[in-house]
Amino acid sequence: METDPTRETLSAFIDGELPPREMERIAALLATRPDLDAWVRQQETLRTDIGKSLAELTAAPAPERLVRIAQTAPISWRWRLGQAWQRPMLRTWIPAGATLALGVLIGIAVVPPGDIGSRGGQVVAQGALASALNGKLASEAGSGPRIGITFRDHDGHYCRSFDADGQAGFACRGSKGWEIAMLATQPKAEASGPYRMAGSEMPDVIRAAIAARIQGEPFDMKAEKSARDQGWR
Amino acid sequence: MVQLLPRLRRFATGLTGSAADGDDLVQDTVERALKNLHQWEPGTRLDSWMFRIAKNRFLDIRRSHKRSGVVAMDVPEDAPAILSDGARGAEAHMMLRGAAQALDALPPEQREALLLVAVEGFSYRDAADILEIPIGTLTSRIARARDALALWAPEG
Repeated sequence: METDPTRETLSAFIDGELPPREMERIAALLATRPDLDAWVRQQETLRTDIGKSLAELTAAPAPERLVRIAQTAPISWRWRLGQAWQRPMLRTWIPAGATLALGVLIGIAVVPPGDIGSRGGQVVAQGALASALNGKLASEAGSGPRIGITFRDHDGHYCRSFDADGQAGFACRGSKGWEIAMLATQPKAEASGPYRMAGSEMPDVIRAAIAARIQGEPFDMKAEKSARDQGWR
Repeated sequence: MVQLLPRLRRFATGLTGSAADGDDLVQDTVERALKNLHQWEPGTRLDSWMFRIAKNRFLDIRRSHKRSGVVAMDVPEDAPAILSDGARGAEAHMMLRGAAQALDALPPEQREALLLVAVEGFSYRDAADILEIPIGTLTSRIARARDALALWAPEG
């Protein structure tokens, strides 16, 4: 006579973690062994009961404080984690086409004068901002402009969001360099605790504009580095 | 991250034994995750990473509470949806208490293993990865948890 299956084996059977042939063997054995079968059934009942109890205990919506903290994840995360982050209201509120064609320049005087200029009628990044857009990765800290997300727009251009000196925006790589698509004053960081992350302070107007323009998802670290190493071509 | 909140709350409530303690643990977990964003590798599972943080924070907090003798187990008397119907309500309340008590009676390492697999539906491989233990250890913890739970279960 075969030895009884161990508790580990029966337990793994309940969780469907045995190889197919072993699953079949245990199922056949249970049909002839009421004692083992009772244990398995009891466990299945317990699992259901525990699941129900926990569902009841957590039935109320998550407390506001939790949702608020979870929402401070930076923008690069929000995209990767799903489109649910984007607020439909903002999408429709921005007259995307017209606004983006013109470029929105708010508070431009605050940006160091050398960082943004005009080239052939196009507002482009220069100086430290151009250097950052060309060479800096989102993961790099340090002084100067910070890079947020990198993505391709619907025309296939590389675009990168940035923030510097209280300004935030994004620029797309065109024939004249990094053409500024949008620039806005960054809201002052709210006093919402020590864990608020830099990227989360991106103005909604920028976030919505990127949402309207982005094709697919933002680049992950590998794709970002690869695009940079190939000179954004 | 907001999408993960319901699962994290369920896991944390199962670990701590109460919704209030669970929410505190989730808050702690989310704050910790945001602070250590750079440690998460895009392309890897975010949920596994967050569950691992929750597990570690739970053990940290438990260790610090142990000194002061706090036992984190508190089934609220006003659990929802059980107040309207007297007889059925009482039964539901007992079940709630029974299941929660049975979980609480488990050593934390068995509790977290069972919750990840039986409630959250992680595979053994993923759960072992979250708990940072070999699969064999996980398998054995789950089996021992189930044996202990069987003592609490009503006669079937």
